[in-house]
Amino acid sequence: MNAIVAHNVICPLGETSAIACQVIKAGRSWLEPHDWLPFPFTASLFNERQKEVLALDGYTFFEALAIRSIQEALSQKEIPLDDRTVLILSSTKGNVGDLTAESDPIPLGESAKRIARTIGLTTTPITVSNACISGVSAMILAARLIDSGQYDHAIVCGVDVQSPFIIAGFQSLKALSEEPCRPFDIERLGLNLGEAAATVIMSDSDDPNLWRVVSGATRNDAHHISSPAPKGDGALAAIQATLNGFPSADLALINAHGTATMYNDQMESVAIERAGLSHVPVNALKGCIGHTMGAAGIIETILNIKALDDGVILPTRGFDELGVSGKINVVNQLTKVDHPHAFLKIISGFGGCNAAMLLAKGVEASGPRVNTLRQPNRGPAATLSGSSVASPSLRRMDPLARLGVTTVDTLLNDNPIDPQKTAIILFNSQSSIHADRVFQRSIANEENFFPSPSAFVYTLPNIVAGEIAIRHQIHGETCFYILPEKDQALVLQIINATFADEDIDQVIGGWLEYIDARHHEADLEIYKRKS
Amino acid sequence: MDQLINELKTQLIEALNLEDVTPEDIDAQAPLFGADGLGLDSIDALEIIMLLEKNYGIRLANAAEGKTIFTSIANIADYVAKNRKK
Repeated sequence: MNAIVAHNVICPLGETSAIACQVIKAGRSWLEPHDWLPFPFTASLFNERQKEVLALDGYTFFEALAIRSIQEALSQKEIPLDDRTVLILSSTKGNVGDLTAESDPIPLGESAKRIARTIGLTTTPITVSNACISGVSAMILAARLIDSGQYDHAIVCGVDVQSPFIIAGFQSLKALSEEPCRPFDIERLGLNLGEAAATVIMSDSDDPNLWRVVSGATRNDAHHISSPAPKGDGALAAIQATLNGFPSADLALINAHGTATMYNDQMESVAIERAGLSHVPVNALKGCIGHTMGAAGIIETILNIKALDDGVILPTRGFDELGVSGKINVVNQLTKVDHPHAFLKIISGFGGCNAAMLLAKGVEASGPRVNTLRQPNRGPAATLSGSSVASPSLRRMDPLARLGVTTVDTLLNDNPIDPQKTAIILFNSQSSIHADRVFQRSIANEENFFPSPSAFVYTLPNIVAGEIAIRHQIHGETCFYILPEKDQALVLQIINATFADEDIDQVIGGWLEYIDARHHEADLEIYKRKS
Repeated sequence: MDQLINELKTQLIEALNLEDVTPEDIDAQAPLFGADGLGLDSIDALEIIMLLEKNYGIRLANAAEGKTIFTSIANIADYVAKNRKK
């Protein structure tokens, strides 16, 4: 079974898990006001000196952060870098800061390959790009692949770096706070973005002293592409599927997403109360490190593991007075805890996705969720390529979303599914490149700087999964993966791993790429669980 | 005012990609959001905020302000007439 054998954090507060955790225990934060864009904002960004130290010749800063974080983790624990080891990268936007009117950045899948080769791995890396929940999605995938015997080791690295592209996008969504963020507080005004890389090395090990992913689940709200379901239906479903009878009295902590936006924190509080977890201590770390996007799920998991190992719960910096309607027990002081051996990580993101992950040490698995793997039956297929795609009812959608929605409409026409038990698992190699170019044009000119919120939303590739979920009221797992190139064997391996979630009976999955009007491909099928 | 209303209708159709909708189809008094009107949502509201900033120099600090202003095209026109900077 999977176990976390080493971990690293690189953020502006420190370059190891221990240092970053120590600084957060001391109540410090790197959130600072910035004024280098047409609007003021607060964020946790590496300064010029830190960037110089962390940079690596011949690599983008995004790649350098990943490589440094992975190498520091590998220095703690030697693992064989052979065909039984896989790199799982987690990022929402990769090198998007390099996008200009003239040239595209290095694609995420290609960057993942460069990182893998540099650390000495020859297996094809998998990149998860599932909005804010990417890091947790990546750790759940790693647990499934190890527990089913597909790999012995997984290097899971979450990383995102900030750029005008991302900051302007969140600004256009009115999601940013000019002040340091205040998770769950009555005076919260929005989120602060952050930069970080974080790595966990997960290995097949029975050592009872190690933390491991006991279970994890992802559920979609099927409500709206950027607003969570107000009563936290998807988050609640993810928590319930993950705990699956695990006694809440054994939970030392719930580490919430706690972005400090009005809607996220409210929704999470309601989901926690509905799950019967009002008594469990809750913390959120974004008041220290900001919202680190693709790194968030991993860095926040590591920092809490480190603190729990030291016998404490990290405080929720910025929290003072409860400003959500759900009854929750937010911790804002460094709090001692006796014999912590389990905690719950929850996280939600654009595209309606919500994930929960139970981490524990020294306890038996409560359910088989990440432990089983069955070969699915291949079902009906639908392919579209080369021709134009359009439908009058898809008003706001970008071409990738239109391609996905149109193809799935065709697929489901003659093949009814049970939407509660269906997952949507999509793959491509160029992420949301078309949408990225469209959004970039709205911020290209400083004199004419009007970032489009609807264009920005589609720069997350998993939004198409959210659109499909809304249209067909699909509430199971949704996830988007980026591969260096189309690789049907790897696609099948990951789709198979999804059936480790026992509530999933069918997967709508496959390749979905849109680069431009002449270069796009939808190759989707319905995969059914073998009974 | 009628000219401003027509101008806003055209801008909305373009910015929100309201395919197959003409300015004549939009009732200036009708609700824009929800099932009774044009069926717009929160992302459309943010897009309208950006449109007002771009075309009229009006800055709304948060999305909540938009809720009371964006009830109908006539209301938006009224607000623009009173607050426009360009």
